Amino acid sequence: MFLRRKGPVALRRDGDRTTVLLGDDERSMLVDLAEQFRSVLAADADPDLRRLYPAAYADDAERDADYAELVHDDLLRARLDAIESLVESATEPSIDDDQLAAWMQVLNGLRLLLGTRLDVSEEDQFDPEAPDAPSRALIAWLGFLLEEAVESAAVGL
Amino acid sequence: MSPTPVEVDRPETDHEHDEEKATDRPWIVLVWNDPINLMSYVSFVFQKVFGYSREKADRLMLDVHHKGRAVVSGGTREKAEMDVFRLHEHGLWATLQQDD
Repeated sequence: MFLRRKGPVALRRDGDRTTVLLGDDERSMLVDLAEQFRSVLAADADPDLRRLYPAAYADDAERDADYAELVHDDLLRARLDAIESLVESATEPSIDDDQLAAWMQVLNGLRLLLGTRLDVSEEDQFDPEAPDAPSRALIAWLGFLLEEAVESAAVGL
Repeated sequence: MSPTPVEVDRPETDHEHDEEKATDRPWIVLVWNDPINLMSYVSFVFQKVFGYSREKADRLMLDVHHKGRAVVSGGTREKAEMDVFRLHEHGLWATLQQDD
């Protein structure tokens, strides 16, 4: 029996870059998801985006409205730029730390959107028979990629 | 709650004015638990945004996870708001408020 921890299978730190170990199918799925995410962000009307634009002042609606007006476009622009970077680098054998940061931003943003849409809670057990099982599996897959991205990015800190 | 303004000719809703009367109370940045963000990711963001050590970042992350929230930084309102913006950029659920 092998008790030794297996190495990364999606994103692996190699020197100052991160090797992308994903297959072609996984890469195109990631690009697909990123492009869907871009459409939802650009339309800027889906209430499930709320977790991506949280309130800053919980008890002060006036200040919070000022904050939201100030930062909304910057947050949107940063996310669209990250998507662009991921889509451009999705077929590369390896990515640099800026691209890795962009991948992480897209992976996490997608999880926030899908998790909000499915009303995910910490106590949820995965039920393969449930109608939303495919979406939940997708969130888990994105989380798995993000975990490996975090491990690689932590080396680059 | 806002302190009573001394200069009565200025409206009470003027936040700049409120702030002048309450400069002794610093602002704090809170991060709230959410069921979606990964624990490892939250700890990583604390290290990246604030330059905290792995140990400190993990401790704060576990506070968020177990207690529902943690104070992660603080200072002037401008600094706290910038910290909140950086955390929002990274998808964390952060708010700022004046310490009490």
